[in-house]
Amino acid sequence: MDQNVIKVENLVKYFDGRCVLDGIDLKVPRGCIYGLLGRNGSGKTTIIRILLGLEPPTRGQTFLLDADSTELSARLHSRIGYVAEGHNLIQSYRVGRLIKLCKDLSLQWNDEFFNHLIETFRLPADRKVKELSIGMRAQLNLALAMAIDPELLIFDDPTLGLDTVARRQFLELAIELIQQQGRTILFCSHILGDVERIADKIGILAAGKLVVDCPLEELKERVKKLRVIFPESAPANLHLTEIINQQNQGREMVITVANWNKQKQTALETFKPSSCTEIPMSLEDIFIECTKPNPKPIKS
Amino acid sequence: MQFRIDNASDRPVYQQIIDQIKRDIALGRLIKNEKLPTVRQLAGQIAINPNTIAKAYRQLEQEGIIVTKAGAGAFVANLDSSLSRSVRKKLISEELERIAVEAFHMQIDERTLLEWFNNAVAKFNLPSKKG
Amino acid sequence: MFALIKREIQDHIVYFIGAAVFAVFFIIMSISILHNYNPRHGPPVFAILIGVPAVTIVIFGIGAMGATQMYLDKTRKISALLSTLATSRNRILLARIIAGILAILTLLVPLTIAAVILMRFFTILIPIPMFPGMVFEISVVVFLMAFACYCIGLQTGWNSNPVTPSLGALFLTCIFVPLILIKGFGVHIVVILVLFIIASLLRTWHTFMKTSL
Repeated sequence: MDQNVIKVENLVKYFDGRCVLDGIDLKVPRGCIYGLLGRNGSGKTTIIRILLGLEPPTRGQTFLLDADSTELSARLHSRIGYVAEGHNLIQSYRVGRLIKLCKDLSLQWNDEFFNHLIETFRLPADRKVKELSIGMRAQLNLALAMAIDPELLIFDDPTLGLDTVARRQFLELAIELIQQQGRTILFCSHILGDVERIADKIGILAAGKLVVDCPLEELKERVKKLRVIFPESAPANLHLTEIINQQNQGREMVITVANWNKQKQTALETFKPSSCTEIPMSLEDIFIECTKPNPKPIKS
Repeated sequence: MQFRIDNASDRPVYQQIIDQIKRDIALGRLIKNEKLPTVRQLAGQIAINPNTIAKAYRQLEQEGIIVTKAGAGAFVANLDSSLSRSVRKKLISEELERIAVEAFHMQIDERTLLEWFNNAVAKFNLPSKKG
Repeated sequence: MFALIKREIQDHIVYFIGAAVFAVFFIIMSISILHNYNPRHGPPVFAILIGVPAVTIVIFGIGAMGATQMYLDKTRKISALLSTLATSRNRILLARIIAGILAILTLLVPLTIAAVILMRFFTILIPIPMFPGMVFEISVVVFLMAFACYCIGLQTGWNSNPVTPSLGALFLTCIFVPLILIKGFGVHIVVILVLFIIASLLRTWHTFMKTSL
């Protein structure tokens, strides 16, 4: 059995002649919580839909639990839980009927756990799905996904529409799940705070490419933003590798660099700057830097 | 134990946990040989990835701040005995150097810096001499 | 599998009810025609005036069922959900086709049984020559015709509204009925229909497998 639960190999996707994914390579090992970030329309949902076989790729291959995404068997589907912004539930059905359908079409169903979740979320069984609020649909979706006791959970913006308490409940559920051996989670979110709390590895999608793909704890150590002031005008080219962003204004240069080390420090010092301060970066800052146009990749 | 994770901070989450545990110990909120929550418990309590907490605990153990006993869990170390002086010197000196660099960039003079330092020391009731 | 079929039937119960209603309607009509049949009065004009539109509606309905099943799936994103559960696109499509076949049988089985019974009672009156197995042969061809109409609906329903494919079903009938009248209910017709059905189903299967949900 492969160590990697999710494998994406050179994935390319075009929609109506527009390139959305431009050669994505990604591996998620077993037991990992992978947080996939990116701006709206960056292709996160597309990657997930291709992984689940809902969308065919233009080029390249994706694998879930060692099986090609275009050939996922019923048994494999039963090991995967999928939660997306409420839009993959059948809106015209009543909640009760939807639950029965999902239960009948599952290979294993943890009734006790499911009922516990339904009670915690206070979801009504007799209303139609389309009459529920976005948040309640998200919670229903989550409960249905968790009830099958999945090995792999794929979340696409799972906390959209959830209030603060519900979001916290979701995080705690995710943590509880990951404490059980061998579970893997792939999730996309816009709420960086949540991602920072629970992700092991992080990926940032920008301009159709995965510009960041490394363990979260290393990210802040690896990416440095420096404010450098030169005695005369700032040089245009520092001959440094892995510059994510560079802005020169007169004598001042603000530069964001990946994998900062002594060599780069020495290289910078050859230009004899008068001062060099580090600007602290939160995950949000790093995200914004990496999603500006023309980012350079940071890989582990 | 209460933890506050600052998402706007430039310190990684595991580092923030380490900082807060050290702070609690220094402030007397955690005492010698006190049992810390398990990784599992803490992960569920504050909704943080258990691997992150495990990493924090591992590093704290490496630095000698906590000890883990097989089957029993993690405990605040008996601080006097476990850390050797050279290790302590290394850790504190690194922190002091960081502060000195910050002060340089902020153009704080030595005297002001020492004054502020003494204020900080007073806040935490450090004994004036090891006796 | 059973759950999938049950779901299809529940969602499209109106077609099953319609099939049952029309079956009863045709049986009653046949009984009344045969009961009042008088060879001296010529062919039963009244029956034809009612019968032809009724049959047209039925053909339209069969095509519509196939089209509606696919159309509603696409608009309500039903397969989008189902395909993430413990099933596969193959099974979803198969369940759909089985439901369609069951609806057609709901219409045709009562009619066939009624025809057999009525023929026992009214042999003298029916002007056309009969032979053993006639009912069986006719029912097979009728079933295949109906199934072919259903398949057109199924094939085109995914990419268009429910009405157009149903018209296509009527068009198909207009081609096949003269063919039957010319060639009779023989093996030739069966072969042509079976080939048509296989081609149509293969196209449907291919589209459904490759489409994005």
